[in-house]
Amino acid sequence: MPTFEMINSKLLCVRLNNEEVFTKRGAMIAYKGNVTFAKSSGGAGFGQAAMRVVTNENLQLMVSRGSGEVFYAYLGKHVTLLKLNGERFYAESESILAYDSRLRAGTEFMGNQGGMSGLVRGAVTGQGLFTTTLEGHGELAVLSDGDMIGIDVNPSNPVFVDPDAYIGHRGQLTSSIKTDVSWKTFVGQTSGESYQLQFTGNGTVYIQASER
Amino acid sequence: MPNSYNYQTLPSNDNINAYSYCLEVRDAMFMRKGKMIAYYGNLRFSALGDSMYAVIVDKVFNAPGYIGDFVIVNGQGKVVLGDNGNNIASYNLESGNLTVKSSHVLGFDSSLICQESTQPGYLTLMGTGTFLASSNGPVHFIEPPCRVDEQALLGWADCPSPSYHYDYSYIRNIFDVVGSMVLGRTSGEEKQIDFFGQGTVLIQSSEEELAGRMNLQRLTSEISGLGQHDLNQLSSFINNLMRPGE
Repeated sequence: MPTFEMINSKLLCVRLNNEEVFTKRGAMIAYKGNVTFAKSSGGAGFGQAAMRVVTNENLQLMVSRGSGEVFYAYLGKHVTLLKLNGERFYAESESILAYDSRLRAGTEFMGNQGGMSGLVRGAVTGQGLFTTTLEGHGELAVLSDGDMIGIDVNPSNPVFVDPDAYIGHRGQLTSSIKTDVSWKTFVGQTSGESYQLQFTGNGTVYIQASER
Repeated sequence: MPNSYNYQTLPSNDNINAYSYCLEVRDAMFMRKGKMIAYYGNLRFSALGDSMYAVIVDKVFNAPGYIGDFVIVNGQGKVVLGDNGNNIASYNLESGNLTVKSSHVLGFDSSLICQESTQPGYLTLMGTGTFLASSNGPVHFIEPPCRVDEQALLGWADCPSPSYHYDYSYIRNIFDVVGSMVLGRTSGEEKQIDFFGQGTVLIQSSEEELAGRMNLQRLTSEISGLGQHDLNQLSSFINNLMRPGE
């Protein structure tokens, strides 16, 4: 299995031994050994790849194959390693740096979650109605502005998140949109923070220290 | 695995890491618009124009040019603040005053008084309380006399108002009309801000401004003070810069 190792907080090294790893296109900065790079749809079948193009949840991926060490970094962003043990991780496709070829990538329609407000969420935040999912046993590397922060959610403590700071989540969570938009907002006295994502259930939401 | 926090383990009024800060809200606090990245609890964010807070705003906020940049947060809960991955630090003032570049002010207690500095683009905070500021890289404190690159300057405390210091080569450029028009961004090696007297100067660890949309925000806030004639000149200057193929 490919081993993921952090060189520093912004530089990832992946060791390959006749294996492959999927990464964000353009993130490779150096390599040692015998490795080839090619465009990829991320290990998913043709149907999945077509689905992704249609849903705009289009991971710009490449695959690194062979034996050696490959170094990845992206725009000086922080990298966090996550290990999945059979569970499912939901992520914004643009924050994924690399993932193990043992993980299965998919696309989930977020409109299912929270019904109508789920639809509104995608439309309002511009993050799309679909979210990339990764599932299985393996490692993935996620990009963030500043260290990634995990916020636990349990039934008695729902959490509200700025849609632009949202990176991903795991666990049994439902998201819905919460607005403070009132008449005043429309007549020009914007209060900022006018909509947030509300997460309820049991799980962890991952956020970055940035609102773009 | 990243650190994971819940309501109890989130720090209260402290940094979570160098780039994010957790505020425990009890009283009304001023916060820069849009810097909330997550919160727990029952909180309300309202514009400074909201009549509910007229008394606080009247007492605390003496910077009409920046009234649209801040919101008041009140209620019970914990707010996580972030600023485009810039470093965040908190400062405690005890009947003191600190002047900070306005785009770097993230939030402050309503026990402080916030006024517009005579230096354009800066805010002065006075009194006793805490405020938050962001910077590109960690903040470093130095004592005057010193000269600082304007881009790297974060602010200053307890010293006389600063002035500009020019090197001869810069002044020579001013006489050359074309040179002065092209000199939009100086390297900081020819023109610096000069500090003297007793006090502290705060600098960020980079000569770049903050990441994000801060530069334009600061520019637009300064443009509001220009007259018709100046605006015409500025517009023709910008048109010259934007002419394609030159």
